[in-house]
Order: sequence, then C-alpha cells, then structure tokens
Amino acid sequence: MTFRKGQRVELFRESRDESWEAYMREYIGCHGVVTDPDTSINDPDALVEVSLEGKGTHRFPQDCLRPLE
Amino acid sequence: MSEPLCPVRSTIDQIERICQSNALVNPKSRRITEEILELLNDVAWGRAGSDHLSSIKALGEELAQHDNKPECTRVAQLVEDAVTVHLETFESHVRTHNCATGECVKLAPAPCQMACPAGIDVPTYVTLIGMGHDAEAISVIRKDNPFPWVCGLVCTRPCEMMCVRGRMDEPVSIKFLKAFAAERAMSERSYQNPPKAPDKGRKVAIVGAGPAGMSAAYYLALKGYGVEVFEDLPMAGGMIMVGIPRYRLPREVIDREVGMLEELGVVFHFNTRFGRDVTLNSLKDAGFEAFFIAIGAHGSFRLNIPGESDYPRVSDAISLLKKVALGDRNIPGRRVVVVGGGNVAIDAARTCLRLGCESVTIAYRRTRNEMPADIEEIEQAEEEGIEITFLTIPVAVEGKDGQVTGLRCLRAKLVVKEGTDRLYPKPVEGSEFVLPADAVIAAIGQQVQTECLQTVEGLHWSRRQTIGVDLACMQTDLPGVFAAGDAVTGPATVIEAIGGGKRAAEAIDRHLSGLPQPKMPPVPVRRARTPWIEMTAAEKAGRRRPEMPLLNIDRRRLMFQQVELGYSEDDVRREAGRCLRCDICRRCGLCVEICRDRMKIGALHFGYMNFDQPGPTDLKITEKKCILCGACAANCPNEAIRIEDRNGERILSLCGTILNRRPLITCADCGAVIGTEAYIQHMNRKILAAEQTIDTVYRCAECHRKHQAQLSVDLARL
Repeated sequence: MTFRKGQRVELFRESRDESWEAYMREYIGCHGVVTDPDTSINDPDALVEVSLEGKGTHRFPQDCLRPLE
Repeated sequence: MSEPLCPVRSTIDQIERICQSNALVNPKSRRITEEILELLNDVAWGRAGSDHLSSIKALGEELAQHDNKPECTRVAQLVEDAVTVHLETFESHVRTHNCATGECVKLAPAPCQMACPAGIDVPTYVTLIGMGHDAEAISVIRKDNPFPWVCGLVCTRPCEMMCVRGRMDEPVSIKFLKAFAAERAMSERSYQNPPKAPDKGRKVAIVGAGPAGMSAAYYLALKGYGVEVFEDLPMAGGMIMVGIPRYRLPREVIDREVGMLEELGVVFHFNTRFGRDVTLNSLKDAGFEAFFIAIGAHGSFRLNIPGESDYPRVSDAISLLKKVALGDRNIPGRRVVVVGGGNVAIDAARTCLRLGCESVTIAYRRTRNEMPADIEEIEQAEEEGIEITFLTIPVAVEGKDGQVTGLRCLRAKLVVKEGTDRLYPKPVEGSEFVLPADAVIAAIGQQVQTECLQTVEGLHWSRRQTIGVDLACMQTDLPGVFAAGDAVTGPATVIEAIGGGKRAAEAIDRHLSGLPQPKMPPVPVRRARTPWIEMTAAEKAGRRRPEMPLLNIDRRRLMFQQVELGYSEDDVRREAGRCLRCDICRRCGLCVEICRDRMKIGALHFGYMNFDQPGPTDLKITEKKCILCGACAANCPNEAIRIEDRNGERILSLCGTILNRRPLITCADCGAVIGTEAYIQHMNRKILAAEQTIDTVYRCAECHRKHQAQLSVDLARL
C-alpha cells in the first residue's frame, strides 16, 4: 500500500519494526490522517507520519497501518 | 462506564461515589469532603489557583484526623495520592490548564494542537491574530516553537489536515496566518524573547544548528543553561538554510529568528565539524554536562546506475541546493533532468530553472498520484515550465567526451507485487528512450551522514541508519547524550525537528536536575482560553479561505524572489475568524442529541463533529428551526454553546457564532421576560389541550394565574 498525504488510516496492530515503541500500544485502534507519507520516496520500509485523532502526530512503520477508505 | 484515565477526574469520581453512598454520616466529615470536591472541581475546570493543591492536602489531613471511619480514610487516601503520586498531573491542570487525557473537557487541546508535532496552541494564536494581537500570538507560538516565521512559510501543516473546519469546507489557513503575524510583529519590533531564568552555571553542547538543534538551544537558554552550538556550515539554519530554496524561505527570515537566539545568549561556533574539530570527549573536558546531537540528514542516496560516477555533471539535489544556498550561482547544465518525485526534486528543478537552465525535466518512476511532493509545489513547478515525465525509470547516464548527453530510461507500468498491495513500477520491455540532458540530478532520498559520529562509542544506530533514541525523551543509549531531528527520524519535516528539539530540551533539563524521564511523549499544553470572535452564522459559514497571491510567472522563472507573497491584513483577520474554536467546543455532540432527541426539534446540524464520517454542516439552518429553548446550552459541558438575553433579544451562540437571535417577549402585565415567541408557541402546543385557544397576549406564569383568577371572579359575578 502506498500511503498518500491526507489519507485516513487506522493503526490496527502492533508493528514488529524496531521503531515501534511500547507506548504506541495505547494507540492501537485509533484513526488518523497521513500527514507526511514517506521519509524516503515511496519506500515501503519508510516511516509514515500520522496524526491520530486526539493522540497527536507520530511516525509509524507502515505494517501497522491500514487505509480506512 | 470505564474508569477515567485522568487522575483528577478519577479522584473526583471516586469521592463523588462515596458522597452519594451516604456513608459519610458525620456532618463535619461531609462538609470537609464536599469542600475537597469543590476544590477538585476547580482543578478539573481550570479555575484553580496556586493555593488549591495545598488547601486540598490540608483538608485531607483534617479529615483523616477528625474521622477514622473507612470512607473518610479512603477519601483522605485519595487526596494523599492526588498531591503526591499524581502531583505532576494535578499541577499541569492548575498551572498550564492542561488535561492530557481530554477527560477534563475544558482543558483538552484542540485537534489542530494535538496534530502539531511541536504542540502549538493553534486556536489561541489564530484567535489572537483575528483580533489583531500579532505580537501576543507570536508569544503564544514561541512557547512551543521558536521559529514561527520559518514555519509560517515552510511547515507541512499537519494542523490543517486535522482542522475541523476542513470537514465543513476548507481548513483554516493556519500556516499563512502564522507567517503574517511573525512578519508583522518582527517589522513592528514587537517580536520579543520572553524573560529567561537566572543563569544555572551549567553548560550544554548542541551539535548542529538546524531546526532541532536551535529549538533545543532556545528552550535550554530560557531555562538558564549556557548553550553553545557547533555547526559544520558557515551559517545557522541547517537544512532550512541549505535545503530549502530562497524563493520559498528567504534567508532574512532565518537570520532574524536565529538573531533572537543570539539575543538570549546562545553561542554559535560555525565551520566547526563534530568528530573533526570537536569531539564528545573534548566537549566534556570543556565543561559541558549534556549533549544534543541534531546533525540532520545531509547525505543523498545514489541512483546506482551505469555512468553515474563517470561524469562531473551528475550530482545530487542536496549538494546542488547547498551550493546555491551558499552563493554558487553557476548553472548545473543547460538541459537538466532531475530524478525523483519528492519536494527535494521539485526544489532542485525550480532552482535550476532560476539559475538559468534552458530546460528542466523531472523524471519520476510512478504517476502523479504517487508523487510525495506537495500538490502546491508540483503545480507551481509546472506553471513555471518544468516538465514532469511520469512512469520513467532511469537505467543509465549516457555521455561522450566526459560530458553527459542524456539519461537513458525505460517506460514503466504500475503493477501489484506478489504478497503486497503496493503498486510498483515495472519496466516495460523495449520501451527504452533517452532524455536529452547535459546534467543529471538525483533526488531520490536523503540519509544521515554517520561519519562524524563514528568517534562516539556506544551510540545505537537503527537499521535505517538513524540514531536510536527513546522517543519519549529523545535520550540515546549514552547517558547525557540526546538526539532529535532528521538524524533520528530520517529526513522528515521542519516541525517534527522543532518538536523533537523542544522535547529534548525538557529531557536535558530533567537529566541535569536529576529527575526521571517520562515514559510517554508529552501532550500539548493549552496556553490560554482566549475569548472568541463573535459573528453571525451566515458570516462564519460564508467566509472562504483566501487564495495565496503569487509572484508573477516571469519573475518566478528568473529570480529567487519569494513566490508566495502573503495574505493582505484584511484577509488574515477574516480568515482567522473561520476558526471553529475546537479548544472550547469539544464536539461531544450532546447539544445535537438533546435538540434532536429530547426536544424533538433538530435545529443543530453540525456534521463536522464526526471524525470518521463527517456529514453536512449547516450553521444557518438553526435560525429557521431553533425555538431558543436553551436546552443545548444548559447541557453543554464546556460552556461552548450559550444562550443569553441581550438588548431585548435572546441569542444562541456556539463559540461566538450567533446561530439564532429573536426578540424577547415580555409579560403584558408585569414586563418580566418570558421567552421568545417561537418558544412560547412550542410550549403552548405541548402543554395546552388541542381545543384550548392560545392566548395572543403573553403573560408570565404568575400574571397568567392572577389573570385567570380575575376572570373566574368576573365570571362568577355575572
């Protein structure tokens, strides 16, 4: 999945990526908007910046995100 | 119902339950507990002062001494926990009017503030700008971001993506409002530093004068630390200086805001490379007690295609942008091909055009839909005459006699790779072609240049070749060494770097004060509850986000003059008024439910309240349907929706937006206010039997009773 800026996504599961932090578990199930899709151009491994409703803006690995639309 | 996460709310709920159980039989115990509850509610509603917590503590102790029944002991224990275990949370409610969980509704940050990686209190400063208080707005912004002017021009604006107004029509133009206020305040010399704390006599070294490093420097200097910044480049700014072209961000903007740091006493050492001119050990020897690494991501990925290393005119975008920023205005070539689809590729292409290149083409492997560059940047580039060739995969740089002659490419089609749902560009066989060029610039991504940190032993590196930190406090594996910005996130945004720098400054202060580090990233802090700007619903709904005026196209092709010219003052003040003030209206939907389900009126159509499935919003329909009963206002938990009698009218407003106003009806006999005509008729329809006629002369209940009594007497006399 290539994430687009402005796309609505759900943080649906824990990631196995090393960038996943324990406190992020609290965000599982939250919905948000992709605010910066890639730290590298269209790299499936890149971290994606997502603003979660009521939980702030964070960078997540792509394997824990899925689009809502 | 689940237990609240907020210790303030939880304490209130538990004590309320004890009170409601009637277990407190002793009158004095009840009185003390009720006083505790009242003070706790002050904390939850942002009304508490500096003495509240000590008073709560004293009352808890008094209760424990007075009554040793289990319920009293429990209340006293809850109070004890509040002022010891949860002291920090209670203090944040009192001092900063902030409830991290959002359960103390009046103190919860708005979605735009939550979305900002630096946590700027957007509704407060937008409202201040709307009122014309630009310098005050800048002071609010700088509590969380020392570079409002820079961000007003180049921020990726996650706040606007979460802006609730965007669910109605278009988000408030938060970024440009900030730029206007910063420019105005700077021009009027009212852009000033806050007072700094007394000198602590302790030194912190910062490596890198980019947005992260300078943000940390600013907040540490304000806390009274001696801050010195070591920078490889001959000037401050880092990637915002050498990675962002001047037509987007003029140098004067950076210099002015950096000047504010120098005014605070931050010392810069330019042309000083970490790992070569200074090392961690040499800085320790010089008396520095904490270190913040913010070296950015100034390296570029290579294309890894034949010919890339064979010609001098094959370079990378970051090097080109850096050379130009440092004053080199030689053209990279007459016909330039830029490879990539991100903002850096667009910046490089537009820079080449301004340097005088005859033709500039961007070669991108995927389609326009997948381009990660901002849509505005792509559109502006195309307007200026830059060609973008999509579905183009470079395969070799071609040349002759040491000069580039073209970029050999293949056409691509997007296919789904097995096992993924991601579209990949697959080369089309036999589709080879050559893009004529005498210079090729790669803009396919950046990376951290790790060489300068190789002397730092024990630093953890991620598999992405970024510095590994605890994201809650930006601390590395080395005690006293912190890191943030692109060196940690990989190439990311300016506002993320600023947020990281601010977070690191807090953590460095804790480290040097011997305090433990937090386990969660900080939650943004509400800076104020600014009064709202009053206007009619028609005005609120009708205002449209203004277009940004741009420099004329000829100049945009020829010079590095700023392209976005900025809003006019009228546009700025009007635009700020579009803010829905989500710091006050928490979109709980209670008003809508009560109006629709309890009053059976349905006068409130706020479709924007739903994040996942926003519906249509009609602010103007309220005027047609609303009877001004006040049920919505009476049940609003945050005093966002209000009903008030003013100048002979009853007015219903939501965060200053007047949804309905009707003349007040007064009692024909005594002159007391009895409501609006629509309300009286509604109540009459509900209360009176169908056969009863509705009196057209309005009287209050008392006068109506007297009137009826008099009628009865008169009838009896007949």
